Amino acid sequence: MEYISIMFMQGLSFLELKYHTLLSYLINLSHVVLRKVSGASIYNEPCIDRLVELRTVLERLRPIDKRLKYQIDKLVKTAVTGESSDASSFRANPDNMVSKLDEDADENEDEDAATEKKSVYVPPKLAPVRYDGDESAASRQEKLLERAKRRALSSAMVRELREEFLDAPTELGSRVDSGAGPSGPSKEDRERQEYEETYFTRLPETKDKRKKRKLPTIGSLANELTNFESDFRVLEGEVMPTKKRKSSKKPTGKKGKKGFKKRKSR
Amino acid sequence: MSNRLLNRKQMVVDVIHPGQASIAKTVIREKLAKMYKAPADTIFVFGFKTAFGGGKTTGFGLIYDTLDFAKKFEPKYRLARHGLYERPKTTRKQRKERKNRMKKVRGTKKTKVGAAAAKK
Repeated sequence: MEYISIMFMQGLSFLELKYHTLLSYLINLSHVVLRKVSGASIYNEPCIDRLVELRTVLERLRPIDKRLKYQIDKLVKTAVTGESSDASSFRANPDNMVSKLDEDADENEDEDAATEKKSVYVPPKLAPVRYDGDESAASRQEKLLERAKRRALSSAMVRELREEFLDAPTELGSRVDSGAGPSGPSKEDRERQEYEETYFTRLPETKDKRKKRKLPTIGSLANELTNFESDFRVLEGEVMPTKKRKSSKKPTGKKGKKGFKKRKSR
Repeated sequence: MSNRLLNRKQMVVDVIHPGQASIAKTVIREKLAKMYKAPADTIFVFGFKTAFGGGKTTGFGLIYDTLDFAKKFEPKYRLARHGLYERPKTTRKQRKERKNRMKKVRGTKKTKVGAAAAKK
């Protein structure tokens, strides 16, 4: 097979290249078919190599060809109809922009786009939950144990023992509203005090605060007396602290305040 | 702490009065006047809460540089407590009725309508 030498002045045109490769491909293919039909083997034929080479070239040409397709079609159309002076014939054709394949996907996309435009983006209502992923099981147990120990140390039994055996003067139960707990004011009380002092305002008393002020804490006293066993065990050894079940647990259900859903933390 | 933006000194006032009832605000103002060498009329105290069990009261105190600054920055109800401000005696209902009467008239007649009808 001789390669036809091509005379080119301004470089090889894309279309010329395409046609020449196609032609060579067809010639080689017909040669292979001839050999097969006449019973000869095509093992180690140079034809096959050439075919493969030409095939790869064609494959590479295909995306470029696809991009040029539109222009080429337009030019061909004008050449056929003969109206090349009319510039409006080159205007955009919106029907061609819609893909004729995958019609279902396109319809869905349009619907989604429409609904998105109408409604404002609403973020999902999920209550923020503490992230425990980086904490190993051992460290978590350690922390629980530490917390249980601290709670045990400040329990009623231990406080009474301390009063009995130490020589410190007895401190009477001061201020119910702030400084209520055994370790001074609770976190809420401290925060409220800080806020009031920085902003020079008095925050009004909340409903539960008012209730708490009215009711004496008889119910909690009995619990303190009966739970001292577990506290002492924790202080001594490595016994795992059992979870304290709150007697008055409100049935909150799936949705909490303001309709926020709580997701499982693990 | 001195608040230069509002030309005043502001503080939390802790009053310890074992065995007595809560102390009157006027007495507290006089004490503060002596402590900070400021005229008592520029001192405003408010928000006093007695702790449970008695004996200690906590509140807030502001000491203005001059009375003019006090009149400028203090809320009206606190000035009224000192007699430096008088609330208009018109009730909300009367004000709204006056406004609605004025809506019916155009121009300078509005003032006449308002004044005349309000005397009813």
